[in-house]
Amino acid sequence: MAEKTTPAVSLRPSGASLSWRQFKAIVRKDIVMELRTKEMVTSMGIYALLTMVIYQVALSQAGTAFDPRDIAAGLLWLAFVFTSMLGLNRSLVHEKDQGCLEALLLSPVDRPVIFFAKAAGNLVFLLIVQTLTIPVFAFLFLQGREYGGDLWMIPLALLGGAIGIAGVGTLLATMSVNTKGKDFVLAVLFVPLMYPLLLAAVSATSAAVLGGDGYVQQFWSSMALVAAYDVIMLGAAFALYEFVIGA
Amino acid sequence: MRQLKIALVLLLIGGVLTTAAFVMAFTTAEMQRFGTVTVPEPIDTAFPLQQVTEAGYTYERPWFSQKIFYFHVPVAEASFLVFAVAAFFSIRFLMKRRKEFDTKARLAMETAIVFVMLTMITGILWTRAAWGVWWEWEPRLTTYFIMTLMMIGYFVLRNSIEDEERRATYGAVFGIIAFINAPISFFITRLIPSSHPVVFQSGFATSNLIPFILGQIGMLMVGYAIYAIRASEERLEERVDVLKDALEG
Amino acid sequence: MTETVAAETLAVEVRELTRTFGARKALDKISFDLPAGSFLSIFGPNGAGKTTLVKVLTTLTPPSDGTAKVSGLDVVEDAVGLRERIGLISHNPLLYPDLSAEENLRFFADMYGIEDPADRVRELLIAVELDHRRLDLVHTFSRGMLQRLSIARSLLHAPEVLFLDEPYSGLDPHAVEIFDSLISQIRKDHTFVMISHDLAKGLELCTHALILARGKIVLSAPRSEIDEGEFAATYRATVGTGVA
Repeated sequence: MAEKTTPAVSLRPSGASLSWRQFKAIVRKDIVMELRTKEMVTSMGIYALLTMVIYQVALSQAGTAFDPRDIAAGLLWLAFVFTSMLGLNRSLVHEKDQGCLEALLLSPVDRPVIFFAKAAGNLVFLLIVQTLTIPVFAFLFLQGREYGGDLWMIPLALLGGAIGIAGVGTLLATMSVNTKGKDFVLAVLFVPLMYPLLLAAVSATSAAVLGGDGYVQQFWSSMALVAAYDVIMLGAAFALYEFVIGA
Repeated sequence: MRQLKIALVLLLIGGVLTTAAFVMAFTTAEMQRFGTVTVPEPIDTAFPLQQVTEAGYTYERPWFSQKIFYFHVPVAEASFLVFAVAAFFSIRFLMKRRKEFDTKARLAMETAIVFVMLTMITGILWTRAAWGVWWEWEPRLTTYFIMTLMMIGYFVLRNSIEDEERRATYGAVFGIIAFINAPISFFITRLIPSSHPVVFQSGFATSNLIPFILGQIGMLMVGYAIYAIRASEERLEERVDVLKDALEG
Repeated sequence: MTETVAAETLAVEVRELTRTFGARKALDKISFDLPAGSFLSIFGPNGAGKTTLVKVLTTLTPPSDGTAKVSGLDVVEDAVGLRERIGLISHNPLLYPDLSAEENLRFFADMYGIEDPADRVRELLIAVELDHRRLDLVHTFSRGMLQRLSIARSLLHAPEVLFLDEPYSGLDPHAVEIFDSLISQIRKDHTFVMISHDLAKGLELCTHALILARGKIVLSAPRSEIDEGEFAATYRATVGTGVA
C-alpha cells in the first residue's frame, strides 16, 4: 500500500479495557444528550403526572373507608410501566434516526457492550423518573397515612423492578423501533413479558408500604422472585441481543 | 404431498381418539370424588351442598365438571408442547438462518395459539363449574392468559415488519424469550401471596387413565395434523412465489 | 497471480459470495478482486444487491455462502479486527444531532479505542475545516457540513478501505465540490468502494466499475477497459430487470 500521509493512529488493544471505555462512552453520550434535550425525562415525568390525574378520577368514588395504601404499590408500578415504555422507545429512536446505530455497529464494539450500555442508560432515566414520581404520588394520595414498613425497602424494590424493565425493555425497544407502529408493538411485547416481574415488584412494594404481620418475610420472598426474574430474563436478553441488533 | 396425506390420517385418528376419550369420560370412567370442602360463605356452584356447620358450608368437591379434564388437560399439555416446538425451531433459526426453520417456528406458534385458546375456553368452563366464577386469577389460567397475549404479540410483531429476514429474526427472538417467560409467570403467580382465596386445589385422579391417555394422544395427533397441513399449504405458496419470480425475471 | 501476492495487494477479495433467504437471492455467487488503492463504483437498480454486498463487506450481515476478505481479513472470522480497518460514509450523516461536532467525534474515537482522542479529533476537525464550529450542535449544521463531519468521523481510526453509500444524495453542487476535493485529498491512501446511482459521477471517480442486477454481476471491469456509451447501455438494460 502507498505510504500514508495521515499519521498512523494507534488503537488500543481491544479487550476488557476497550469494552469498558466503549460502555462509558455510550452511557455518557446518552446522558449528555438527555441533559441537553431533557426529552425523555420530561415526557416521562409529564406522563407520570397525567397518570396521577387518571388515578384521582379512578379513585374518586372509592369512599372514605377506602385506604389507598392497599393499592398504592400497584398504582405506582402502573405509572412506571407506562412511563418506561415511553422512555424506552425514545432511547432507541435516537440511535435509529440518523443511522447512528449503523455507525455504532461498524465500530469494533462487542454487541453485548451496546446492550448493557443502552440498558444502563435506560435504567438511570427510569430511576430518575421513579424518584420524581414517588413523592408526588405520596403527596397526592397518601397524605396523613401511616407508612408501614422500613423506608429502605422502597428504593430496593424500585431498583429491582427497574433493572428488569430496563434490561428486557432495551431488547424489546431495539426490535420495536424497527417496526411500523413502534409504540403499539412495544406495548404488546412489553406488558406480557413484564407481568411476572410486576407481580413480584408490586408484592414487595406493597409489603413495604403496608407493613403488618410478616411483611419483612413477604418483602424478601418477593424480592427473591424479582431477582430471579432479573437474572433469567437479563441473561436471555443479553444472549439474544446480538441477533436483534444485527438484523 | 405424502406429508399431507399422513396429516389427514392423523387428524382423523386424533379426532376419533379424542371423541372416544370424551365419550368414555362420560360412560366408562368412574365418577371421581375428591372429598369435601368447607367455605365460610355459601357459593354459587353446581356442587351439592352437604352440610352447614359452624365451620361453614361444606360442599362435595368437583365430580361432574372434572369430565372436562379429559379434554382440558390434554389440550393444555399439547399447547405447551407445541409452544416448545416453536421455541426449538426459533433457536434453530437463529443458529442456521434458514428460512424453513422460521416457517416451522411460525406454524408451530400458530398451532400453539389454537391450543392455548382451547385451553383457556375449557379452563374458563371448568372455573365456572368448579369455583362458581367465570374467571379466577389462578396461576394456571393466568399463565395461559399471558401466553395468549405473548402469542398475539408474536404475530403483531411479525406483521409490523417488512423485511423478511428481520421479521424472522425478531420473531425467533421474541418466541424464545416468550417461552422462557411462560414458566416464570406460572411460578411467580403461584408464589406471590395473593389476597384471593384459593377455593379449591384442583387435582387429577390417577384412575381413569385410559380415556385420559387416549385424549392426550388424540390431541397431539390433531396438533401435528394442523401443523403439517399448514406446512404443506405454506410449501405450495412458496412454490407459487418462486414461479412468479421466475416469470417476472 | 499467486495466492501470497494476492493477499498483500488486494483490498477486497470476494469469492462465490452468496446471500440468500428462502428462495430470494440477494447475492448470487459473486466473485471479484479489488487491488489496494483503487476506487470501485458499484452500480445497479434498486434491489440489485448493492447494499447487501456492502453490508456483507462491512461485517454487518454474514454471508450465506462463499467468502469475502477486506484488507486481507475475513468478514466472518475476523469481523472485529476488520471493523478497525474500514470506514463508512453514507448519505445519512451517522452523527448524533444533539451532540456537538467535537462530542460526536470524541464518542466515535472512544468506540474505536483511539489513543489521545483529543488531538486526533482536533486534527480531523481542522482537516475538514470545521474547527470553528466544533462546539456547535450537529443539528445546526448544513447538509454539506454534515457530510464533511461525516468524512472526519469515518477517518478517525485511519481506515484502509472506505465505503461510500450514495454519498452525493442530498448534496448541493457546492457541497459536492467540497466533498470531491476532500475525497481527492485522501484518495491515494485509501481504497474506496462506492455505491452510486449517478453513472457519470461514479465513472468519473472510479478505477474499477461493477454492475449488479438481481444479485449477479452483469459487468466488472477496470475503468480503462470501459467504453462509456456501451457501459451506459448495459446499465440501462439492467434497470429494466428491476427488483427481485
